[in-house]
Amino acid sequence: MFDKILFISSALATIVGAVLTISVKNIMHAAVFLLLSLLGVAGLYLTLGADFVAVIQLVVYVGGVVVLMVFAVMLTAGSSGQKANRFGLVKIPTMGNFRTYTIGIVFAALVLMTIIKLYTNVFAMSRLAQIPAYSPTVSKIGISLVGTHVLAFEISSVLLLGALVGAAIVSRPRRENR
Amino acid sequence: MGFYSYLVVSTILFVLGVIGVLARKNIIAILLSLELILNAAALNFVTYTRFVNNNIDGHVFALFIIIVAAAEAAVGLAIVLRFFQIRETIHVDDATQLQG
Repeated sequence: MFDKILFISSALATIVGAVLTISVKNIMHAAVFLLLSLLGVAGLYLTLGADFVAVIQLVVYVGGVVVLMVFAVMLTAGSSGQKANRFGLVKIPTMGNFRTYTIGIVFAALVLMTIIKLYTNVFAMSRLAQIPAYSPTVSKIGISLVGTHVLAFEISSVLLLGALVGAAIVSRPRRENR
Repeated sequence: MGFYSYLVVSTILFVLGVIGVLARKNIIAILLSLELILNAAALNFVTYTRFVNNNIDGHVFALFIIIVAAAEAAVGLAIVLRFFQIRETIHVDDATQLQG
C-alpha cells in the first residue's frame, strides 16, 4: 500500500514536472520544474529498491546539475542592447513557436511507435524473474565497481577530469588584448 | 507496482524529452530536456535490473549515466556561456559560426 502511494506520487511528480519543463515560458521556472521531475525519478528509484542510485540522483542532479542550470540561466539573462539580431531572431528566446512544437510532437509520435514496436518484441522474449526481497545495494555496488567494472570506473574518472578542465578552459573570461 | 508501469513512465519521460529538444529555441532549455532523456534511460536500466536480471549491473550502468550527464551538463553550459559572451544570444538558430 505504502509502496503504491510512493510509486503513484513519484510518477505524477515525474510526468507533471517533465510536461511543465518543456511547456512553461520562463526558463527559470523550467529549471525548477526539472527539479520536481528529477525528485520524482529519485522516488521511483526508491520504490525499485535502488537506494544508492536514488541518493546519487539526489546529490548529483538536484544538488549539482540543476544548480548549474540555474547559474547558466542567471548568467545569460541580461542581454545588453537590442533584443533581436539582424535576422529578427529574439536573442533570449523563451519558447519555440507553433511550428517547432508540431515538428516535435510528430517526431515524438514516430519515436513512440518505434519504442512500442520494440517493446512488443522484448516482452515476448523476456521472462520476469522473481522479485527479490529488499537488501542494501551499497556494498554490492562498491564491490562491483572495483571488481568487474573497474575499467569503466577508471575511465569515468578521466572523463570527469577532462570535463572539469575543459569547462574551466572554455568558460574562462575573454582577454581583449590578444 | 508492476514492470509495465515503470516502463510506461520511462517512455513518457523520454518522449517528453524528445519534444522539448525539438521544440525549444533556447539552448539552455534544450539542455534541460536532454536531462529528461538521460533520466528515462537510467530509469529503464534500474527497472530491468529489478524485474528481469536481479543483478547489480543495471545500478552500475545508471550510475555511469549520471556521471556522463554531469560531465555533459558542465561542458555544455560552459560552451553556452562562451557562446553568450561572443554573440550575446542563446537562440539556437544564431549558432551559425561553423557555416561556410
